[in-house]
Amino acid sequence: MGYSLWPFLAIAGGIAVILGSRRLGESLQKVVLPLSAAVIGVSLWQLACEFKSYELRAPDGSVRLIEVFPTPWQTLVELARMLQDGTLLRYTIASLYRVAVGFGLAAAIGIPVGLVAGWSTRAYRTINPLVQGLRPISPLAWIPVAILWFGVEDASAIFLIFLSSFFPIITGAMTAVHSIPTVFLRSARNFRLGRAELFRYVVFPAALPQIITSLRMALGIAWLVIVAAEMIAVQSGLGYVITDARNGNNYPRVLAAMVCIGLIGIVLDLGVRQLQKLDEVRWGFSKA
Amino acid sequence: MAQRFGDFPSMKEALIARQIDATFMIAPLAMKLVSDGVPVRIVYLGHRDGSALAVGADSPFKEFKELAGKRIAIPSRFSNQNLLMARMMKKNGMPPGSIELIEMPPPDMPSALASKALDGYIVGEPHPSKAELGGYGRILFFMKDLWPNFISCVLVVRQEVIDGQRPLVQELVDGIAASGKWLEEDKEQGAAHRKAAAVVVGKMFYNQDPALLEYVLTKPLDRVSYTNLTPPRDTFDEIMDLAVETGVLPRHMAFEEYCDPSFAPELEGLPPVRSFPMPTAEELATVGK
Repeated sequence: MGYSLWPFLAIAGGIAVILGSRRLGESLQKVVLPLSAAVIGVSLWQLACEFKSYELRAPDGSVRLIEVFPTPWQTLVELARMLQDGTLLRYTIASLYRVAVGFGLAAAIGIPVGLVAGWSTRAYRTINPLVQGLRPISPLAWIPVAILWFGVEDASAIFLIFLSSFFPIITGAMTAVHSIPTVFLRSARNFRLGRAELFRYVVFPAALPQIITSLRMALGIAWLVIVAAEMIAVQSGLGYVITDARNGNNYPRVLAAMVCIGLIGIVLDLGVRQLQKLDEVRWGFSKA
Repeated sequence: MAQRFGDFPSMKEALIARQIDATFMIAPLAMKLVSDGVPVRIVYLGHRDGSALAVGADSPFKEFKELAGKRIAIPSRFSNQNLLMARMMKKNGMPPGSIELIEMPPPDMPSALASKALDGYIVGEPHPSKAELGGYGRILFFMKDLWPNFISCVLVVRQEVIDGQRPLVQELVDGIAASGKWLEEDKEQGAAHRKAAAVVVGKMFYNQDPALLEYVLTKPLDRVSYTNLTPPRDTFDEIMDLAVETGVLPRHMAFEEYCDPSFAPELEGLPPVRSFPMPTAEELATVGK
């Protein structure tokens, strides 16, 4: 059945560019290197498709080529179709909305609780075992529970996203307060700061860089969970597209939605990284 | 070698990737695979009837028409349950879409009904019985009330296997026919065979409560039937018409294109065969109170 030539050429070209990129300027490298990696990835994808397809010989001698896996081109065509009929935009907004609410609630509850639990030993002893015990449970396992509690509406999906991001945030906040250098607290005490002031002017700012790191991680997880969260009978969202297209045998659409989730993930991560550049938190990082 | 799947999509993908050679799946899904160019054929049926429409135990519904505007779960758009709903809406003069149908994995349906996230669901057993036994659901309609001799699951085999290993496929089909015949053999005399099957199958294959399966198989006895499994052209033509009409399938296909009934055995000459070891008396005592 044979393989196409272009993926091999593209892979060779990509590798050549990466190897020869030492002499390129830094700003050019930042564009060329990830692009080369993407070209190699897409080429390997194409080869995997061709590897999986097979010829079916009927008893009458006729031969049919059976394609098993959607190719990059089929996926791109499907992506264009979704862009054109508006589903892509609509479902992206639906998913982002659920992540925003779930993640927002997780941050709104997780940060204060985590700060308190990190500060007070008794609160830590009370909360930490529970948090660490619930943290490793996959959102997939929570689906039946979510349906029982929240039905098959948005609330269930939001609940799952909340769960998945709540535990990393609260753990991050607890650890952040825990690991504040004692010298900060001692000097604060020398200035005779009250409890509230200590929290406001020392503890919170000192913990902030680490909290932001945990927010960044948690947002990544929240977005990761969107497919599982939207497996519950909601009727919109990129995760829903995957389940729906899979049920409907439209595998190019499954891949197209996966590509979208990946691309939006990159954008979200870039966005949170901007937070780390704020003056208030910048001091916490050796390398911005 | 047997392999159990928890959902239809994974099974379908294993079939497409040639990891499995034969499987039971919902009939329109098999037709959809063929229309998408996947080389498989329906060679036999798995059972007849065996689905039910369950609603909340305290719901007021008596007639199909009253489901207008309600939310009913179906296992897949490529299920005969979906087509049946379309058929019933048409029959009752209800416009398409007047019942909100949502796709849901069958195991999630009973709990969704219990939490009132659904007004009802239509799916294969044992899920409707589960709601009944749990006390929060009741059966509004059995399939025999809505579409007698309902076809739900069919035996699908890859074309390569049909072409290359005919005796093997024949053995499989004969086995299904013979064990179906065995199940039905003593139906009128206490249905001990069905009870034994509930115990063995529940433990060996499905990890389901044998009491639930016994309920499914015996109360009433015609909830599911295991004879008359030759793929019938007229019913499949009707399914095809409904599927195209509702947009579930993109085009009409001839019966021969997706079905190969040449393996279906003559039941008369076939001896009933029990395909599993008989359960012990203690095991049997767990069901049939």
